[in-house]
Amino acid sequence: MEIVVCVKPVPEAESRLRANGAGTAFDPEGVKFVLAGYDESAVEQALLLKQAAPGSRVHAVALGPPGRTDEVLRASIALGCDSATAVTADVPAFHDPVATARELAEAVRGLGKVDLVLFGKHAGDDEEGLVGSAAAEALGLPFVGFVVDLRHDAGRLRFRRSVERGEETWEAPLPLAVGLQQAWNDPRTATLPAILRSRKAPIARRASGPPDAAAGSSVAERFALPPPRQGAKMIEFKSPQEAAEKLVRLLREEAKVFP
Amino acid sequence: MSDTILVVGEPDGPALAEATVEAVGVARQLAGPAGTVVGFVAGSGAAARAAGFAAVGVGRVLVADDPRFDQAPPAALARPAAATAEQAGASVVVLGGTTFGRDLVGSLAVAFRAAAANGVTELERSGDAVRVRRPVFSGRATEERRLTGPRAVVSVRPHTFPPANGPAVPLAVEAAPSCDLPAALLGPTRTAVAAAAQGGGPSLADAAIVVSGGRGVGAPEKFAIIDALAASLGAAVGASRAVTDAGWRPASFQVGQTGRTVSPQLYVAVGISGAIQHVIGMVSSRVIVAINNDATAPIFRVADYGIAGDLFEIVPALTAEVRRVRGK
Amino acid sequence: MVDFSLSPDAESLRDLARKFARTEMAPHAAECDRTSRFPEEIYRKAHALGLMNLNVPTEYGGSGLGLFEQCLIVEELAYACGGMTTSTIANCLALEPILLGGTPEQQRRILSPFCSAYQLAAFCLTEPSSGSDAGAVKTRARRDGDAYVLDGEKCFISNAPHASLYTVFATVDPGLKHRGVTAFVVPRSTEGVVVGKDEEKMGHRASATGSVRFERVRVPASDRLQGEGDGFSLAMRTLDQTRTPIGALATGIAQAALDHAARYALKRETFGKPIAEHQAIQIKLANMTQAVHAARLLTWHAAWTIDRGGKGTLESSIAKCFASDAALHVADEAIQIFGGYGYMKEYPVEKLLRDAKLTQIYEGANEIQRLVTARELLRAYS
Repeated sequence: MEIVVCVKPVPEAESRLRANGAGTAFDPEGVKFVLAGYDESAVEQALLLKQAAPGSRVHAVALGPPGRTDEVLRASIALGCDSATAVTADVPAFHDPVATARELAEAVRGLGKVDLVLFGKHAGDDEEGLVGSAAAEALGLPFVGFVVDLRHDAGRLRFRRSVERGEETWEAPLPLAVGLQQAWNDPRTATLPAILRSRKAPIARRASGPPDAAAGSSVAERFALPPPRQGAKMIEFKSPQEAAEKLVRLLREEAKVFP
Repeated sequence: MSDTILVVGEPDGPALAEATVEAVGVARQLAGPAGTVVGFVAGSGAAARAAGFAAVGVGRVLVADDPRFDQAPPAALARPAAATAEQAGASVVVLGGTTFGRDLVGSLAVAFRAAAANGVTELERSGDAVRVRRPVFSGRATEERRLTGPRAVVSVRPHTFPPANGPAVPLAVEAAPSCDLPAALLGPTRTAVAAAAQGGGPSLADAAIVVSGGRGVGAPEKFAIIDALAASLGAAVGASRAVTDAGWRPASFQVGQTGRTVSPQLYVAVGISGAIQHVIGMVSSRVIVAINNDATAPIFRVADYGIAGDLFEIVPALTAEVRRVRGK
Repeated sequence: MVDFSLSPDAESLRDLARKFARTEMAPHAAECDRTSRFPEEIYRKAHALGLMNLNVPTEYGGSGLGLFEQCLIVEELAYACGGMTTSTIANCLALEPILLGGTPEQQRRILSPFCSAYQLAAFCLTEPSSGSDAGAVKTRARRDGDAYVLDGEKCFISNAPHASLYTVFATVDPGLKHRGVTAFVVPRSTEGVVVGKDEEKMGHRASATGSVRFERVRVPASDRLQGEGDGFSLAMRTLDQTRTPIGALATGIAQAALDHAARYALKRETFGKPIAEHQAIQIKLANMTQAVHAARLLTWHAAWTIDRGGKGTLESSIAKCFASDAALHVADEAIQIFGGYGYMKEYPVEKLLRDAKLTQIYEGANEIQRLVTARELLRAYS
């Protein structure tokens, strides 16, 4: 099987979150970018499928400036991916996801025959989770997201999909695009020798193309951390019913969190 | 952008999913008094589901009553939905941000050549654009984005917006336009559905609302009032470490430094003192409510709203009020 | 020009060690300390990831890292647990004499099979009556045909209870003093090798330490490293290499102590405010920070010097001595900042003091390090 995994560099979990001076976007200054959590599962899933079908190859693709893409592509190679492509694009960390999806689709199209395209469920930073479905449409591939436990058996894929009310069981022919929530194993850790080898591995590069002007765009306008908590507004009440009524009203009208 | 908004209906058995009804409420607000909301439903029995739209005030519903969609991926609805939006003259499409909606938004955005956003918690028209706000970094921050261009596709975070509530209008069903839909996109097939083992209720990890009980609940059999409040809110149930250590609930329920970290829209802490180990697991929730009979408990320092009172009286009263307000 | 930043290559190695330390080692550190358990499953994982045998060239199955990269890794591991780090890097100490003094044939024959699977090695120099005075080893090696017969006892040997290979320093002639010391590689399976029990220690309790007795142990001459009488110099050259990573180990312990103390000081309130706002605590924290930064930079400089081909004896003796003294002092102050809680075993800082203490004693006691430093310094003036 020819498998492609699209991976995204995201700020590492303990990063200090800061807005830029204008407050319009996330400030990546001093932040370390690593492989997104669900992408680690997607890479793991790809490698498990490769192990189960000898002769398969796994290719990792990432989009962004080289300073962000190269480290996660090397990390993917260190884990066991056979090759990698960096789509060079000088874009911010929270870039328009549909535009990203179109670029990734172009890059995947350029790789020739592909049986399976894997995406992580969503990236830990913007958590949009729409790149996989969008890229699949651009490629003309069927897409299923929230996939758990993906298995390959004689040209067909079997998997489960985790939804609100429980789990669905699915079957699909190749080729397929998948948004992966969980592999059937925990993501592996790259060994030291593999990491050392990955430092010297070649990364194919391609430039990004012009955006689809007619499609509009999603532009980041503000990035904000919540203000520090000042302490609870204590609700005064004479009866439990009054307390309940006041709280529900505050939640709906003031906090705008509809219960 | 036009004033016509299309809402894509998600099936829930023979009816429309609650998330779709919330999406209708959002669409109506976006459309404004002069605009129109149009519905779209696909799959067999679509005509019956269309009645769900009419019940909440959406009279015009385009329907693709086609069994091919019944066990197909939600993403496969992209081209039919895009064609439908064109036909209806809609330039904005709104969906509920469930697993159904989230799988469809991306493919629909490409099929419809639109800008898109998933899981928004606030949105408004702004000139010729749609502005959205959404949580990022597991709720530790929020971003606002402007969706520019002629078309936009947005999914709204479930349990965040009030569901549309009528009045009912007469239903006018139209056939959705046909479109080029390659068989390959319908290739993946759902073969079975298994209900969640814990019998209903969202999982702690994804829930938009969490109700947690702590030592103040007193005894395992009294935890039922936490379950009841959670059920009324459509919330997941969590617990403090004291509760899981005592065995009142399994360890998987524990919210805190050594348990899970959650960042729901609303976190209700009942009978929880607010020790730092628990707070670390829930402090990034958007809104925190604390109910505790000790007004000096540290939880009130991190909560947004507090009720200092007897939880055995407050919680049932709250459950009753939520049910009343939600019309159940 | 110098550059104090880490290359992306170095960062990726450090990140691997950090991830292993935080996810695999740290969760078990307190339990292994409390029960003195040797966590073989953790050492096996370290081996599988390539975190053991750091100094052995890749052609023999090691990780082939320079000293700077080794130090980055060692500091990360020690941040999680000093004892587990000691046992993890004890292989490097034991195998270094083979790297420095073995023939290509010996290296191939001994190192390749050794590194290919999880196993431990132990460096056997110290004896009941000779630690710092390494030239005075009493373990005898008597020539007998094309073999030597070893008799004697080594003690306080890291990894000895679990090792499968021992690098042993014995004398062919006590009269020659240090010029009689000779190095040998001895498999545990050799008849006459008697391994003592794991000793109960103050700290590094996840590491196993014990005695090894050699009772008429026959060692083929082909397992002798270099020539008769070359052993003392080989041991000293070995320690020239391994001193610096101990500086990194001590730095890791000190950093952990500083982190615990700083976080605690921000939370604990006395007299109406967090103790971090009291000057007495701020002065302590400042001193601790100075010590940690200096320890790390001295260690980095020593590693950098040696990686560039320098002997680094001066730099490494300074680094090991300073960093281990710093670790002890920083851990001590951390306990003081925690106050009563610091004295309780339930809190993590008292373990750090017990672990820090060993770093002042082993791999060349700090008194010896100072003598080495003085000698190297004065040599520059004469």
